[in-house]
Amino acid sequence: MASREIISYDKGVAIKLLKWISPVFLGFYLIWALLPLFIMFMASFKDLLDAFSVPDAGDWAGVTMFFDFSPTFTHYVALFTENNFGVYLLNSLFASIGSAIIAVTLGSMCAYSLSRSEFRGKKDLLFWIISTRMAPIVAVIVPLYAIFRSADLVGTLPGLILAYTTFNLPFAIWMLKGFFDGIPYAIEEAAQVDGKNRFQAFLMILPLAAPGIGAFVILCILFAWNDFLFSTIIGSGGAKTLPVATKELVQPQNIDWGKIMAAGIVTTAPMIPLGLLVRRYLVAGLTMGAVKD
Amino acid sequence: MVTVSFNNVWKDYGGGALAVKELNMNIKDGEFVSLLGPSGCGKSTSLRMLAGLEHISSGEIVFGDKIVNTLPPKDRDIAMVFENYALYPHKTIFDNIANPLKQAKIPADEIKRRVIDVAKLLEIEQLLERRPQELSGGQKQRTAIGRAIVRQPQVFLFDEPIAHLDAKLRARMRSELKHLQHKLGVTTIYVTHDQLEALTMADRIAVMNDGVLQQFDTPQEVYQNPANSWVATFVGEPGMSLMEMEMTRMDGDLALAFENKTIKLDLKNKARLTAAGKTKLLVGIRPDKASVSQLEIPGAFECQIYSRQLLGADVLVEVEFGTSRVRAKADTSFVGAVGAVCHLIFRSEDMYFFDAEDGKAIPHQC
Repeated sequence: MASREIISYDKGVAIKLLKWISPVFLGFYLIWALLPLFIMFMASFKDLLDAFSVPDAGDWAGVTMFFDFSPTFTHYVALFTENNFGVYLLNSLFASIGSAIIAVTLGSMCAYSLSRSEFRGKKDLLFWIISTRMAPIVAVIVPLYAIFRSADLVGTLPGLILAYTTFNLPFAIWMLKGFFDGIPYAIEEAAQVDGKNRFQAFLMILPLAAPGIGAFVILCILFAWNDFLFSTIIGSGGAKTLPVATKELVQPQNIDWGKIMAAGIVTTAPMIPLGLLVRRYLVAGLTMGAVKD
Repeated sequence: MVTVSFNNVWKDYGGGALAVKELNMNIKDGEFVSLLGPSGCGKSTSLRMLAGLEHISSGEIVFGDKIVNTLPPKDRDIAMVFENYALYPHKTIFDNIANPLKQAKIPADEIKRRVIDVAKLLEIEQLLERRPQELSGGQKQRTAIGRAIVRQPQVFLFDEPIAHLDAKLRARMRSELKHLQHKLGVTTIYVTHDQLEALTMADRIAVMNDGVLQQFDTPQEVYQNPANSWVATFVGEPGMSLMEMEMTRMDGDLALAFENKTIKLDLKNKARLTAAGKTKLLVGIRPDKASVSQLEIPGAFECQIYSRQLLGADVLVEVEFGTSRVRAKADTSFVGAVGAVCHLIFRSEDMYFFDAEDGKAIPHQC
């Protein structure tokens, strides 16, 4: 095995300068990324007056005013009592988890067989599968709407799940094929010799693909959870999800900032622990199979 | 414990790639057979067809009196050791070895007893809680062997099981495997490209080249009476040297013409070559039956030293004359340097004769 030691070479002035600049840059980046989240979080607990209070003089002394308020849960309560956010939250959960499960179940079986078998036109088939993912969603949404409409799927949760699956499945097949390619076939052969049948041998190697499958479930959930376009057009009415519901809080004559901030927190919060939980696997998943060891 | 037969087995990978051609072989119950050949000769393919991991294009494979062509591996009652070990990376060594027993629904306490017995035999009992990636190559290898021998299958299949070990461990594993097979008495097919493994371990060796079975016989016979010139040069370390010679007459007697010289024949060989009636021959000589000297000896060939390699106890000298190169073993006191002139000598009784056209050995006269 190659040594993992990091060798330090003589550095030029530019490199030395970069060494100082990069933490500064990263610091700014961190503020840029986290500050809006932080303001959103604070504002969701403020009433309208507090949220828009501005100090008299524009100096740093006025910063304390930002923290000077009495926290209130009225926006959250209002979201779930007046605006039906409970239903939308469930819609979002069902649509994203449902489509992820379907995409991964079908995708892993398809990916496995594409990885293990050789047949004429396999490359063309693989390209055709991914080509459905190449077209921008806007380009296919109109014909898709017409199809869903005639199948009475518009405005239903199954319709939304189906729409997400059409987009997640090709991605699943390609990514999972990479994982299965990385698992030596000899392991399955050994399992068969040990007395397992073909399907049991497949189950035997499934734990080896687990990090990849796990990472992929998360990607599917994130895609569906963040989606706005499918949800407005296919899910509109009966299967409204959180992003669409949040957008509807913006009314022409009245923008309810408190509720919007609270809705933003409700939408973001479930995905943050999920992201942290699978961060490791996500990276492992995306790079797995890239290097042959 | 069963007999194994290949009956006219072919393997066609499509596109004109024939991996195995017309393989016929009957392996006796409890026999240790080695499939020997260079890489790509079809030996692994043959083994994989036995295991049921590879489809048989035509012909049949028979275990006992049962044709197993379409039987899946799990129903063949075989145990196999793979060249790359093929351990289950996510399972402990204990679970790796126990897997075939769990599959056979054997009670847990008996599984434990048998796994520990096998682990003791292979000296890996202190590793049972570890996972494959924490093990060295030799330990992985022994785990893979353990997984095969933990149950008593009808047939053992070994696919170059010790090829990746270092030389010292390989020598030890050779005798351990041989001992084990003798103790268990299970019919064993052992694929290797290392002739030393084949010669030392097997009851019979099946030499394969280019998908064709060249010779299937005891190690002794394969070494002493190679069926053709290919087997002659492949088996033996180093292999036989071949020289092209022609039949001629000297003083009205049958003799061999070689590089402007004539070699007299002994009575036995004279009768043998007369019966065969071939004019062009390939004549082989084993390096340890040929000798070189710096002194001029009557009947010796004058030649140049092409290379010399110290083997430890003696020196392997390769000499060149005309278009032929011959290897000979010499005493370490032999001081000839590369390029120097020396004299090669061998006895006509030690010569092997093959037909120059098809390479087949000229049969002995009884």
